[in-house]
Amino acid sequence: MRLPKFEYIEPKSLREAVKILSAHPSETSLLAGGTDLLVNMKYGVVKPTTLINLRSIPKLNYILEEKETLRIGSLTSLHDLYTSPLIQEKFPILSQAAREVGAFAHQVMGTIGGNLCQGNRCRFYNQSPFWRSVRPPCFKAGGEICHVIKKTKECHSTYCGDMAPALIALGARVKVIGPQGERIFPLKRLYTQNGKKPLSLRKGEILKEILLSQSSGKSIYLKWRWRGSIEFPIVSLALYIEKEDNKISLSRVVFSGVGEGPLEISEIEKSLLGSTLEGSIIDSVSEQVTKLVSPMRTSIYSPAYKRKMAGILLREGLDKLK
Amino acid sequence: MKRILKLNVNGEDLEILVEAHKTLLEVLREDLGLTGTKRGCDLGTCGACTVLIDGKPWLSCLTLAAAVQGKKIITIEGLAEDGKLHPLQSSFIEKGAIQCGFCTPGMILTAKAFLEEIPHPSEEEVKKAISGNLCRCTGYIKIIEAILSVSGREE
Repeated sequence: MRLPKFEYIEPKSLREAVKILSAHPSETSLLAGGTDLLVNMKYGVVKPTTLINLRSIPKLNYILEEKETLRIGSLTSLHDLYTSPLIQEKFPILSQAAREVGAFAHQVMGTIGGNLCQGNRCRFYNQSPFWRSVRPPCFKAGGEICHVIKKTKECHSTYCGDMAPALIALGARVKVIGPQGERIFPLKRLYTQNGKKPLSLRKGEILKEILLSQSSGKSIYLKWRWRGSIEFPIVSLALYIEKEDNKISLSRVVFSGVGEGPLEISEIEKSLLGSTLEGSIIDSVSEQVTKLVSPMRTSIYSPAYKRKMAGILLREGLDKLK
Repeated sequence: MKRILKLNVNGEDLEILVEAHKTLLEVLREDLGLTGTKRGCDLGTCGACTVLIDGKPWLSCLTLAAAVQGKKIITIEGLAEDGKLHPLQSSFIEKGAIQCGFCTPGMILTAKAFLEEIPHPSEEEVKKAISGNLCRCTGYIKIIEAILSVSGREE
């Protein structure tokens, strides 16, 4: 499959990139690792007339520790992330999640920023033009229908990233740069939970870095998929737990693959507060979570199966962090 | 619009004219005639198009040629030195790790980058490393044996 023609630009700074992106945001795409974007361009579901290669901008690939904060440049490759001794020691969940993305070459090519901004997926959308030609285009492909749920007025494509749940579980913040300058906000707010426009980035904004504060809790990332490699998660879970006097004082429960964005389940976090994880609490929250997630049939896996697996992953995660 | 691309392929400095929408795979196969790099799925799933860029495995079907300006690229054609096969190539032949041969270039280049990173891997580590390179003939056993034998970890 050949790529369509486009104008290719190599900016020398983020400011220059922001300027070009702001001029024609809907027709311009940002290229980082390309493992998501170029596939979508070959499929003809993303059709930029201009491509900005962020790799031409120096100094966006770094992992720096400054006082209480760890800063990760958005162009840091997933491979650099999981081979970093600093990440392995201080945030092992990130190293774990990065190893679960695609396979060796995808990890070398793929960047943390690109991974966080990867497109939502759906079995009716991520397909060749020939495959899609038998149906009218869906919301996400610019049409007026959702093939997953016919009566709905919105796109239900699913967020399937691995890094976002892990980073949200760690309470990460992101710094974006735009025409009005820089702003910092919690990573969770980068996601709109809207399948057609999954990211809350404003016109001309580019993700610059990820900020992490040192945390004292334990965390784990569990990814459920058929093969041990390459695939996106059917369901995955990032779990973070902080304890005081052996009781949970803070927890974050974040799923991928079950919603239009990474999904933090605050009801479960409330149920876990103050618990020692002894007795029936693990059983009850694992049961409770199957009713709190509502995945759509956007892949070959049924929503009922995904709900069941969400419960199984939560049980496994809590058992391991007990 | 065409642009001038300077790169080093298999030790040779080249200057070529490429269009921005051409992938590295297309340039290698069609412009440079290096057909050892295979076009499989063309979507980054099968690993047949793997080449080494600055020593690391990249999927050339998902890499814009224009974006590898100034990089050092190694394809399967550049692995043998002075007519002598690379140890991985010899090992693949000895162990019978090649059947149709379509996955072999990508498989060997991925293995090369992996062994440079982890010179004495376990079998599980080898499996994980080549998990992005699909082989539909061998069943992988002989490929894993071939890689382990180069690492001196043969059972």
